[in-house]
Amino acid sequence: MLTLLARILKVLNSEASPWQIGWAIGLGLLAGLLPFGLLTLFIILLVCLFTINLATFLLVWGLCSGLMFIFGDALEAVTWQYAQSPGLLQLLAQSETLQLFHLHHTLVLGAFVLGMLLLLPVAWLGTVLVKQYRGRVMSKLQQWKVVQMLKASKLVQLYEKLN
Amino acid sequence: MIRKSGWLIFLAMLAAILALVYLFLGTAIRLGMVYSLEKAVGAEVNISDVSVSLAPLTLNVSELQITDNAKPSHNTISFSNARAALELWPALLGYYVINDLAVDGLAYGTERSSPGKVFRGPHADPADKVDLQQLLRLDLPNAEELLARADLQTVARGEELQQLAKNQQQVLQDLPSQLPDKARLEQIQADIKALTDSQIANPADLAAKAAELKKLQDTLRAERDKLTAVQQQLSQSRQQLQQAVGALRDASSSDWQKLQDLANISDGGLAPISQILLGDFWGERIGQLEAVYRLAQPYIPESLPGKEQNNQAKLSLPNRILPLPSQPYPDFWIKNARVNWLICGGEALIELQDITAQHEIINAATRFNAEVTGLPQLSLLKLDGDFAVLEQMVTNLNWQLQGINVDSMDIGRGDTLLQLASASLSTTGKLNLVDNQVKQQAQVVLRQAEFSASPNKYIQQLAALLNQQAEISLNLTASGLISAPEVSIRSPLDKLLADAVLGEAKAKIAALQTDLRSKLDNELQQQLAGQSDWLTTLNTQDSEAKALEGNIEQMLNAKLAGVKEQAADKLKDKLRDRLGGGG
Repeated sequence: MLTLLARILKVLNSEASPWQIGWAIGLGLLAGLLPFGLLTLFIILLVCLFTINLATFLLVWGLCSGLMFIFGDALEAVTWQYAQSPGLLQLLAQSETLQLFHLHHTLVLGAFVLGMLLLLPVAWLGTVLVKQYRGRVMSKLQQWKVVQMLKASKLVQLYEKLN
Repeated sequence: MIRKSGWLIFLAMLAAILALVYLFLGTAIRLGMVYSLEKAVGAEVNISDVSVSLAPLTLNVSELQITDNAKPSHNTISFSNARAALELWPALLGYYVINDLAVDGLAYGTERSSPGKVFRGPHADPADKVDLQQLLRLDLPNAEELLARADLQTVARGEELQQLAKNQQQVLQDLPSQLPDKARLEQIQADIKALTDSQIANPADLAAKAAELKKLQDTLRAERDKLTAVQQQLSQSRQQLQQAVGALRDASSSDWQKLQDLANISDGGLAPISQILLGDFWGERIGQLEAVYRLAQPYIPESLPGKEQNNQAKLSLPNRILPLPSQPYPDFWIKNARVNWLICGGEALIELQDITAQHEIINAATRFNAEVTGLPQLSLLKLDGDFAVLEQMVTNLNWQLQGINVDSMDIGRGDTLLQLASASLSTTGKLNLVDNQVKQQAQVVLRQAEFSASPNKYIQQLAALLNQQAEISLNLTASGLISAPEVSIRSPLDKLLADAVLGEAKAKIAALQTDLRSKLDNELQQQLAGQSDWLTTLNTQDSEAKALEGNIEQMLNAKLAGVKEQAADKLKDKLRDRLGGGG
């Protein structure tokens, strides 16, 4: 938990630009919602090609994958209920590309649609929050005795050395 | 912002993942298979190696052994090698299309090098066990059993007749009271006689007597009408009763025919002895094919009629495939499969094409053929056929078995035990199964058969006769519901057997026939009991009514005519006197 907190603080305090962190959160969420497959590989390719913060992406991916163990069944059931439209089914049946991405599987389709809906708002919100943090919170937080004690602790110093 | 080294990072990650998969996938699959199979069978499962090759994508499983949990020193199933080549593109789309599946050295019940662990005892369902002794029972049906099975119409018609008689009983009891009173008729007769014999003094006397005569005449007519009504009622009753009796007799004849069919005695003896001997046995064998249907049923697509829909239960299942209107491949499809099966020192080669449950997508049926050779108990077995799940599940099967060595098989038990000591059996046949409806034809030839029999003379005669035959051939047909097919077994030997076995067997059949006839006649007599009395009563009352009717008609006509003639004569005499004598 301490390591996780230190990692978050390190990213937030790093030189990475807010949009790099914001998109990392958005794409991490999308990758986390989706079951592992070609779409996940495609997202990893995007993350590698663009200067998106890898640490944040991996962190959010892990967190969201965990959340899917809780909400996966509900998402699948809702998708099954709303994905019975003949037009959509026809489209999925005709396109082997969509089937290649396993979008004819309920959980993949539901996670993909939800992830795409959340991608932009979450990325934008992440960017804004990082900016707000850096502009308003970071300098004040650095002055907190708790943070100074934490930063001075051997554990954090050791962690920073290792990283 | 493009990361220039992005491709490199991605490719390195991908390569690392593929390398990991390549290195550890085989082990992961092996552990997964061992875990799943052990959980399913409840005994130790061993797989020596599982490897995956990428081009083409192939899975190899070496030396699989599944311990028999009832006999841990042996395996239930084992094979030396299995290889499945998967098509990559359909697999990426989520469909399992296997180009070639080969299983070599498949064996059943091989001995293990060391006893396997057993986690769970065998759970054999006693209902699945087949009691051959029970199945091979030889029992001639008895009369009571046949009567019970026949759904006799005689009883129903008899009950109808009894009901009718009951309804008519009251009517018939009231009839005598409706008949004209004999004393009253005699009184009327006496009055008419007195009137007609009396002298008519004058016209007024004539008018008075005529009026009196008319009154008597009206009374007689009223009595005659009552009599006519009674006669009609009697006629109606008689007709209804006769119809009911006729229906009862017809039902009795029909029942007799039905009983003859059931007892197979219409040819006058032992003709269809093969049916009696083997009918139930073959029916049970066909019925066991239902197990095949039950095995296949879960794989039948849900759109087929009769398949239960249970969407509610499936809501909780994760990641289902959406019901697409069309799909490029079936969910699973094994294009070619070859199984090399080692059985009892021989070898079976089974080849299958297009194994799937969605035949409409590939527009072809699953075809299979098997050839077994080199068995000590069987010189050749050939099996071929096809199977398709379309609007209905359709299976066609042809078989040819040659030289099956049958030894020590018991047919029947106790007094009716017929023991087949040894024989060589050959059979050819075909079977068509549409859902659970079966149609089957088979020819079975038994050569060099040696029978021995129990002390029962009938069975001994049968065994002696069968032993004299160089060849015993049977034609077996079955149709209907697979769990309870109608089986017919005929043999050219039947007539010969019937002619030859004239002893106790013939007598037994004759006794059965007599017993049946007498029981049916008894049934008829019981139903008809009392009806003849009613008919006699009807006839008696009818005769009485007819006699009365004749009497009344006679009185009405004869006496009335006498009065008129007398009056006319008197008028003529008077006129003659007034006109001055007559001439």
